[in-house]
Amino acid sequence: MKMKTLTGALVLAFAATGLWGQIGGLPREESLIIQNPEGAPSNPGCFNLWWGCGGGWSTGLHQLALDTFWYIDPNAGVDGVIHNSLAAGPPEYNDDFSEMTVFLRQGIYWSDGVEFTSADVVYTVESQIEHPGATWSGAFSTNVESVQAIDDYTVRFILKAPNSRFQSVFSVRWNAAWIIPKHIFENEDPTTFEFNPPVSLGPYTLHSYDPNGSWHIWERRPDWERTTVAEFGMPAPRYAIYRHGIPTDRRLIEMVNGDLDMIHDLTPEGTFSIVKQDETAQGWFPGFPYAHPDPTLPAVVFNTQNEKFQDKRVRWALALMLDAQTMSLASYRGAATFSAIQVPPTGLHPDDYHEPMQDWLETFTIEAGGKTFQPYDPEVTLRIAETVRRQFDGVPEDEQAIRRSFGYGWWAQNLEAAALLLEDAGFEKQGNNWYMPNGERFTVELGYSAEGVMSRLGSIIVQQWIQAGVDATSRTDPQLWDQMFMGEFDAQIGWSVETWGGHPDLSFFLDSWHSEFVAEPGARQPARNWQRWSHPDLDRIIEEIRTIDFNDPRGVELGQEFVRLTVEEMPTIPIMSYNVFSVQSNRYWTNFPTSENNYANPVTNWANGRYILNLIEPASR
Amino acid sequence: MRTYGFFVLKRFGQLLIVVFLGVSATFFITHLSPLDPVEQTMGRLTRQSGFSPEAQEAMRAALTELYGTDKPLLEQFYSFWSRLVRGDMGPSLLAFPTPALRLVKRALPWTVGLLTTTVLITWTVGNLLGGLAGYFQNSRLLKAFGVFAIGVQPIPYYIVAFIMLILFGFLWPVLPISGGAGMFVEPGWNIHYALSIVHHSILPASSIVVVGLGTWFLGMRALVSNVVTEDYVTYAEFGGVESRKIVGSYVIRNAMIPQLTALAMVLGGVFSGTIITEEVFSYPGVGTLLIDAVNAGDYTLVLAVTSISIATVATAIFVIDLLYPLLDPRVRVR
Repeated sequence: MKMKTLTGALVLAFAATGLWGQIGGLPREESLIIQNPEGAPSNPGCFNLWWGCGGGWSTGLHQLALDTFWYIDPNAGVDGVIHNSLAAGPPEYNDDFSEMTVFLRQGIYWSDGVEFTSADVVYTVESQIEHPGATWSGAFSTNVESVQAIDDYTVRFILKAPNSRFQSVFSVRWNAAWIIPKHIFENEDPTTFEFNPPVSLGPYTLHSYDPNGSWHIWERRPDWERTTVAEFGMPAPRYAIYRHGIPTDRRLIEMVNGDLDMIHDLTPEGTFSIVKQDETAQGWFPGFPYAHPDPTLPAVVFNTQNEKFQDKRVRWALALMLDAQTMSLASYRGAATFSAIQVPPTGLHPDDYHEPMQDWLETFTIEAGGKTFQPYDPEVTLRIAETVRRQFDGVPEDEQAIRRSFGYGWWAQNLEAAALLLEDAGFEKQGNNWYMPNGERFTVELGYSAEGVMSRLGSIIVQQWIQAGVDATSRTDPQLWDQMFMGEFDAQIGWSVETWGGHPDLSFFLDSWHSEFVAEPGARQPARNWQRWSHPDLDRIIEEIRTIDFNDPRGVELGQEFVRLTVEEMPTIPIMSYNVFSVQSNRYWTNFPTSENNYANPVTNWANGRYILNLIEPASR
Repeated sequence: MRTYGFFVLKRFGQLLIVVFLGVSATFFITHLSPLDPVEQTMGRLTRQSGFSPEAQEAMRAALTELYGTDKPLLEQFYSFWSRLVRGDMGPSLLAFPTPALRLVKRALPWTVGLLTTTVLITWTVGNLLGGLAGYFQNSRLLKAFGVFAIGVQPIPYYIVAFIMLILFGFLWPVLPISGGAGMFVEPGWNIHYALSIVHHSILPASSIVVVGLGTWFLGMRALVSNVVTEDYVTYAEFGGVESRKIVGSYVIRNAMIPQLTALAMVLGGVFSGTIITEEVFSYPGVGTLLIDAVNAGDYTLVLAVTSISIATVATAIFVIDLLYPLLDPRVRVR
């Protein structure tokens, strides 16, 4: 009896304190609960990400409380791909791109009531340069000779050398250089100041946070109309709750229990399961394959400084040994989005690259052993769709929809052509084993992560190479990426192509592919030309891109030229986009972005996801 | 008394040597790791940002100077010990320039609170039941508990924790499945926060107790099974001494000595955290902190956690050594 009384008292005590549910006293119907994939920050009370200090980035801080000049959407955007945020319009360069002038929006205020002006911009740049090791110190110190406030709403950057893409430092993809509140930081040591509580320039301000790093809660500013997203209406949720570090299996439970509205990503199987169990759950596509293709392109990255991979015929032969359908089913259970070219099949890229280049790809030929082959297979993704249709619901029927979600096509597996290419390159086949021109066995060690879809992909590629006679082996060392940076690898599942997504300009990754940045063997390679590949034509393309404006239509022509060059040379084997299985629940909120309403990227850690809060609506409405 | 004092001094000297060697070994192991904290920081900063190669180089040079990783290893070793004797473990590289000790201090109470409570519960209940089961070998209830302990003990902890999570967080969702306390509860010395902590610790604590109970139970039962065959127990039974007195004063007390040593070791190990519990239930603590630090090459933080762990385990053993003569009359200082 005593035991029962004690238990009852405890239950009542918990209920009375309002702790039974996950969010306690917050009104659930006014709260958007978001999973942050970044993990629990080690120092959650630090908000000075201009220095670091372990506070985390995507805790809601860079999505909801900070701001900068421009946002470039990986999809179509709310009102076009580029949103002029703190800038009143696009950047204005002088003729030789050695100066950039930015006109600032007026009437934008920090959350403490101080107006945002050019003084904040000047302070941001100068203080970062003054403190080497600060997050954007390198980006500014290598580019900016000086920065001037022409007036309260005009800033001019004098650059150390012409740079037609300097605005990318202030253009949000995942993040960008955020503007510092001068009136707060100027009286502090910026290297130790924790900026707690943060003074916000975005539509939300800090409400509270868990000192142990499990969550951060942001509350809509009463003066949200004095922020840059006001033109899209009032952000709907009063509270935005970011929950950090939830393991994959628990995300699913939390969403079904109503304690999560937005999941950054699940496994393919987790996604298939939740859309069956919870009718309010949705993915990017209305049916299979559900996932959002990120503007990142997983590929087989060759170390082209290794003698084995210097001949493009060898690289091509390894590509033609692979079967797309097998790779798709093994890695993403069929939910892969293929790209045969060095541009991710995501955002608006299919309109600028994949669709217009279909004819060229279909007629593209390679010569091997005196024969001519047409390696491109535009039907393979249609066949994959047919295969998965037997297992999953919602696979699109329309050909165009299939190409958008499964990709436009890929290289047809052709072991005959692969063999002839290797023979042309001086290789010899004895039995089912290939030998290199120096008489040694043709070995390829493929590195890939130890778990997840990329692990499954790497494993199936190794199997296919072995079946084709290559002595292929796997490596799943935790230091894989570091070894790739140092050039200590044969080949690896990695990505050296990352794009804006919504904008066709390729300079985000391509500029770093210039031969001037290729490191000597054994030296560290700066991001992102991990394959250490160089080509005179590539340098010419990059150098011309540097001389034209970001929005110049010539940029797409040069981009397509780059695609043709890399198809011929195959410096890496591009495979598929990095598909993120983001899931949203429509139980409390609706109008999340989808493939049909592609106003934003549904992943939760990208800063340009902030517009989602303006466009979602209460489900009860 | 002078002899005992000399014994204490000698053991204290050994304690200092053990701590110095343990911490130094950790220093060299972490610094010989292929993980470079500068590159880990660079990776976090540049992974998704558009930094040009020139900007990356400038950043790398600045971070190398800040972190001091370009200095000779022995110089870093000397600098580390100079700071440590002053109670300064240096800045965490993961959260630079936040002091590593501050991060550990924040995480430690959660780990110590959860693990000390669960260890003491499992140790007390496990040993008590194990002792009784070893003596009253015909009790059906204790036999049934033995079957339960043998059944649960081999199941990997992760599985048990996950089953409990599914049961009480999904199928019958009555308990919180993540975090150390509820959201929107003001941290501090107030009843709301205290209840919230207790509420959130029920699942992680229960999972540890369920798995840990069997180990102590089975160990104690085996020990008691040997003790009950001793002549002095048989003599006491023939002499008509009460069963309660035999079990408490003769059997369990004698069997308890090795269990007490094991308890000291386990309590010392509390400072290393329980990584799986923290991961499964997103429970705050030093285990997750340590894993994050290892993955990020943050050897200052790794050293802070491991140094505290080494010092507490060594101190626990030192204390037990000092207490042994008092607990066991057979042990005498020569």
